[in-house]
Amino acid sequence: MTMSSLSRSSLRVFRVVLLLTLVPAIVAAQTGTDANAGTWQMIVLTGPSQFPVAAPSATTSLDYQAEIASIKNAQAHLTTDQRATIDYWKTGGVLRWNEILRELVARADLPPAPALDGTYPVPDANNPFADPQYPFGNPPYAARAYSYVSVAQFEALKIAWYYKYLYSRSSPAVVDRSVQALAPTSDLPSYPSEDAVVSGVTAELLKLLFPTSVEEITLKAGQQRQAALLSGKATASDIAAGLALGQAVAAVFVTRAGSDGMRTAGGTPAQVQALADAVKARGEIVWRSMDNPPRPPMLPFFGNVKTWMMTPSDIVNERPAAPPSTSSPQMAKELDEVKQAVRHLTREQYAISLKWADGASTPTPPGHWDFIASGYIAKAQFSEVRAARAFALVNMALHDAAVGCWDAKYYYFNPRPSQLDPQIRTAIGLPNFPSYVSGHSTFSAAAAEVLSYLFPSGATDFETQKDEAAISRLYAGIHYRSDIEVGKDHGKRIGGYTVRFAQQDGADPLPAPAR
Amino acid sequence: MMLRRTILPFLMLLACVPARLHAQTIDDGVMLVKHDLFAGDVYTHDSWDHYWEGTLERTNGNIGTLTTQNNVWSANYGVTDRLNVIGLFPYVWTRASQGVLRGQSGFQDVTLAAKYRLFEHAASQYGSLRGIGVIAGGLPLTDYTPDFLPLSIGSASKRLSGRFTLNWQTHAGWFVNGSAAYTWRSHVTLDRPYYFTENTLFNTSEVDMPSVVESTASAGYLKNGLMADFVFSNQRTRGGGDIRRQDMPFVSNRMNFSKIGGQVMYPIPKLRSLVFELSYAYTVDGRNVGRATTITSGFLYHYQARRQPRS
Repeated sequence: MTMSSLSRSSLRVFRVVLLLTLVPAIVAAQTGTDANAGTWQMIVLTGPSQFPVAAPSATTSLDYQAEIASIKNAQAHLTTDQRATIDYWKTGGVLRWNEILRELVARADLPPAPALDGTYPVPDANNPFADPQYPFGNPPYAARAYSYVSVAQFEALKIAWYYKYLYSRSSPAVVDRSVQALAPTSDLPSYPSEDAVVSGVTAELLKLLFPTSVEEITLKAGQQRQAALLSGKATASDIAAGLALGQAVAAVFVTRAGSDGMRTAGGTPAQVQALADAVKARGEIVWRSMDNPPRPPMLPFFGNVKTWMMTPSDIVNERPAAPPSTSSPQMAKELDEVKQAVRHLTREQYAISLKWADGASTPTPPGHWDFIASGYIAKAQFSEVRAARAFALVNMALHDAAVGCWDAKYYYFNPRPSQLDPQIRTAIGLPNFPSYVSGHSTFSAAAAEVLSYLFPSGATDFETQKDEAAISRLYAGIHYRSDIEVGKDHGKRIGGYTVRFAQQDGADPLPAPAR
Repeated sequence: MMLRRTILPFLMLLACVPARLHAQTIDDGVMLVKHDLFAGDVYTHDSWDHYWEGTLERTNGNIGTLTTQNNVWSANYGVTDRLNVIGLFPYVWTRASQGVLRGQSGFQDVTLAAKYRLFEHAASQYGSLRGIGVIAGGLPLTDYTPDFLPLSIGSASKRLSGRFTLNWQTHAGWFVNGSAAYTWRSHVTLDRPYYFTENTLFNTSEVDMPSVVESTASAGYLKNGLMADFVFSNQRTRGGGDIRRQDMPFVSNRMNFSKIGGQVMYPIPKLRSLVFELSYAYTVDGRNVGRATTITSGFLYHYQARRQPRS
């Protein structure tokens, strides 16, 4: 070895060290490929060793060359549909799946119709196509669904990134210049394919969460992989390895979802009665359904569902103090405020109520915040793994907010304004669950807290939207001011758990600021 | 949860199904002579407790009976014997008898129409045949929301419709009348950034509104200002989704219906310029609308520039 080659190799080592330390820290904050994402902290999984990915064949091998040839052949005969598929997925798989998920939630967001005898049938996971369809994609169910998909994608992509940089196999369009790059290219290694990872992990979870849409989900997932291949981003073996990894990661989350408390969140009539009796024993007026016929309250034991960033005792510790007693002058004053608000509703206030109504057939309030987050994530042009991180952080906070909020709602079980004063008529549909604290307020504050951390330049916007979402419920006549103010504070504290995780998971350049 | 029904009969109507609120209006075969004015105030009470969720007829305990009332100021003026212009200004209010949802009220959509007699043949010794064309436009008068059906007071879309009416009238006073209209509707803008309809989540506030075809057939007697007839009317919306199970109605739903009814216009004796109107309609079949019973009554004043009214 000559001196010059020695120094060259030293330089190479230095460069690699630089790449592994300084550069990712800088790039990460921008829009790079996040080469160190394989080292970011895991949330549910233990790490890459939990999911071995075999080394790929060399790019000089006959197998690989055959794969390249088949891409070129396919690119030479692209159909209009295939081009449309490539264009559709070019936006980014994580962003697209979030959009699809919001549609699946809106489709599922229908309460069961009452039977002739005045009872309400319960959606049955084993008979999802019946009436009522399964699931009822209500806000807690939706918050959980968004979080499962986002966290699983994020975890799977971190593992994919680890293997990408372990094996460093370039993408087909880089290996062979005659392969066209029909989607944006980067120097991101392509084995295993991130698109295939996302398609695999997402499809498996969505099939569990939205079983009536299995055909559409499977089709979309297949198209995402097809787009990766046809656009010159990945070969068949990149895709096969990615799909297997994504599906393996999904299995962990499917298992978790089977025992996270969702199945028993509906409770039994006796359990619900026990909650009501406890409130009655404290001398308070107990919530009752304003639906006709009366409908059992929505998921009274969702407060026991497993969270992402909080422990069960955190949920109890963060539970807000009691609302004003239903017999207190304070409650009378707040009730009157609601009455006056609806009576004197301006068109502008009504527009705000409608904007945030997020009732049946919508992506629900958590989905509204995913909608807001999507705009920021798309604009930031994040790498796929960083986009997944952003959605995972927002949706973990939203899910934990759902759990915390539902815990408070059923611990206090307090009545809606229209129950205490039947003259109060609502400007939007009245949700069929207790009032305190406001779900919109809790969700919005938790999401705004996380989004403000991720996108500091948007903090004012998030703050404004949060306040608007929260007060919209008073305008509409469905929440007291206490529900809103306390709910916002509750949500902000819940969001803080996720922010503290994000500050130290290794993805952001700055050390966690003092709290 | 569903109330769009109410709206339908009235709102959509004003332009599209301007129904047969009063004779000498948009869909009848009668023309005012030059410089005559026929104006008045008509009240309508429309209610239903059954509605069609898609094609499934049901009741809803969160609605009970949905009542839509409206008060329409109308004016029809004879610019010439062949050209009449018509204006309708409705005030609408809605109410659900059960549940907690808040009723709405307000000025709805102004309708302006030009009615032109295309031809008239004194075809035989028995009577005459007339063809009439109408162009009508509808415009929301206020910024009401169409996003709270069935309690919204209207669809909040701008409308343009073309209509053709064929009328056969005997000298003895008997007539038959057929009329059909096609109405284009502008998109409407909601206050929210997305909506779900036709199995799709649209990430926009703008809702495309399907066109509407409306047709009516009537037969009756008309002489010396006295009129009585039977009416069949039908509306078909050319697109739009169904209300899903237990969902709220949506502004662009496929709202179809068939109604039967009748109408009387009776000049008050000794005050022959003052006409009393009473009409009734019942929805016999529908889709995404209520099985409505509609009663209309009002007084209209007929100012005659010349002494001999034409019909």
